[in-house]
Amino acid sequence: MERRTTEAALIPALQLLSYLIIALGALFMAFKAGSLPASRWEPMSAGTFPQIIFSSITILCGMAIIFEFFKHGLPRTSFYIACKKLIALKAVIINLVLFTVYMTAMPIAGFITSTFIYLLTTQLYLAPRTSTNIVIATFVAILFSAGPYYLFSEAFNIYLPRAQW
Amino acid sequence: MTDAFLVALGGVTDPYTLLLMAVATFAGIVASAIPGFTITMAIVLTLPLTFAMLPMQGIAVMLSVYVGGLSGGLFSAALLGIPGTPSSVATTFDAFPMARQGNPGKALSLGLFASFVGSIISIAVLIVAAPPLALLAVKLGPWEYFALIIFALTVIASLVGDSLIRGLIAGLIGIGIATIGPDPLMGRERFTFGYEILTAGVPFLVVLIGMYAMSQLLSELEPANGGTQHPSGALISGDMRPHLWQTIKDILLKPVNVIRSSLLGVFIGAVPGAGSSISNLLAYDQAKRASKHPETFGKGEPQGVVASESGNSSTVGGSLIPLIALGIPGSPADAVLMAAIMVHGISIGPRLILDHPDLVYSMFIAMAIASVFMLVLGVILMRAFLRLLNVPKYIVVPVVLACCAIGTYTLNNRLSDLYLLACIGAVGYLLKKLDYPLAPLVLGVVLGPIAETNLRRAFQTSTDWTLFFTRPISALLLTLAVVSVIYSIYSYMKQRRLMAQRLDATSE
Repeated sequence: MERRTTEAALIPALQLLSYLIIALGALFMAFKAGSLPASRWEPMSAGTFPQIIFSSITILCGMAIIFEFFKHGLPRTSFYIACKKLIALKAVIINLVLFTVYMTAMPIAGFITSTFIYLLTTQLYLAPRTSTNIVIATFVAILFSAGPYYLFSEAFNIYLPRAQW
Repeated sequence: MTDAFLVALGGVTDPYTLLLMAVATFAGIVASAIPGFTITMAIVLTLPLTFAMLPMQGIAVMLSVYVGGLSGGLFSAALLGIPGTPSSVATTFDAFPMARQGNPGKALSLGLFASFVGSIISIAVLIVAAPPLALLAVKLGPWEYFALIIFALTVIASLVGDSLIRGLIAGLIGIGIATIGPDPLMGRERFTFGYEILTAGVPFLVVLIGMYAMSQLLSELEPANGGTQHPSGALISGDMRPHLWQTIKDILLKPVNVIRSSLLGVFIGAVPGAGSSISNLLAYDQAKRASKHPETFGKGEPQGVVASESGNSSTVGGSLIPLIALGIPGSPADAVLMAAIMVHGISIGPRLILDHPDLVYSMFIAMAIASVFMLVLGVILMRAFLRLLNVPKYIVVPVVLACCAIGTYTLNNRLSDLYLLACIGAVGYLLKKLDYPLAPLVLGVVLGPIAETNLRRAFQTSTDWTLFFTRPISALLLTLAVVSVIYSIYSYMKQRRLMAQRLDATSE
């Protein structure tokens, strides 16, 4: 059995956790699929195929957990290592949060405003703060917020979301 | 047949279509030249622009982006030493040293011409192989189709990523996602849990954009390992002239390498899941093995650039063989092409070539024309690309993410798809970090409904499940699926044994 360092064991530990979560989720879905009503017209009901798929996922995740235990044992990592790794991914997490806020705000604030604010904020967060970069970021934000809106509405008759105020 | 060909020729050579194709080829080259921007992303972002076009025009534009994209990675590979896309990894081995030695123009023109030859060879193979395969596929029953999809998914799962089991889990998760919403035969609602957002199902393009584009873009923001900086464009100076005639002579006088690499690329492209990211490395490896001077490879050897570029560009023709003949996309990029055709109300499958021969011929012609555009634009704009490569990530990432949002919204004009995109993107990034391959997942979403429909049709025809194993083609495909899984486990164990031996040797 190969042992890993606490740092190297972080990803395998998270993978193990993911197998467990996916297996439980798939098991739940397989039960849900089983409760779908049978069809009079065909031998397989609407739930049979999903039941096969979700049961297979559960079995595969179970196999993955067993293989991982046999190969490396229980991966030993620490909460400190996980936090350190998470802090290293600060830029990714902040961007993901900004993007989620952007997606949520678009139906209310409309495409132009939400895209402009999102592009400007993200660029200013990621780029080194110099006056040239601020000018470039503002230009890019205007170009890619108003540009696609008018391109799609004028050229393709596709209307991107408008502000609700 | 002649009529259909002439209709296709007329449609594609229309001046407006040609102009659109030239712009699309240029966009494809630019997109994949920017590190972090993949070909699939470029094709996805082009899709909404084709909604207002005629089917033939739309497909021609998408194929132009595809063809341009396959050679665009060459620019960043040769000038920055960074593969713009995974399909140009092997190009960096020799094109970058060649450019550093003062011959960037020669490195680029070698790559461009090799890409051109590779594309043309792949189109020729596609024209020869696709129609007879489609005629054969029309005769396949639901048993064979189901077996074919099982085979495709096992091959994808075993070829992509480091772990077969995670590949299989990912593929099945994809199929599981596709079961949300109405069932494909009776339209019965499944797994919506009362949420309106899920009643129409999860559109596969939203999954594709979220999983592929978002996870890739977010990965670009991670801190670089070891803190090593990529060499900047300023490191490259020297002769930027293309020396095209000399290059053409060099390649055509030694045709074995380019033909071998192209045929290898076509074959790999036709295998579901493999694609250009594998073909360039295999073609490079074969060229090195066959060379009389393998020691020159990695130090600016022209044959290395030729092998890699012809190997990756020729996959486009190969990957269209299963799409046109069987209606099965072999890669996420092909899945988007499939969507582009379906958006116009044309169903994909073996009958495509029988019902819409003009559309299929227009695909062949468009690919050939796009290859010419790729060569011409690449040679003319060589110097300009050097500047484009320096667009910083802090501009590329948010702008492309915003474009992903536009692409997602315009697919169905549904705001709820935007929420799905944010959720799927976050899950996709998490899965990527946990080393789950995303290609099987995305293709699982595409292939899942086809598999379910055929499985249920098979049981509607006969409840005898042994037919899957007694009908020869179905049995053969299922055997191949099992063989691909066993082979994958065998090669994994062999690799582990070799690694253990190496570790033992170093510790002694």
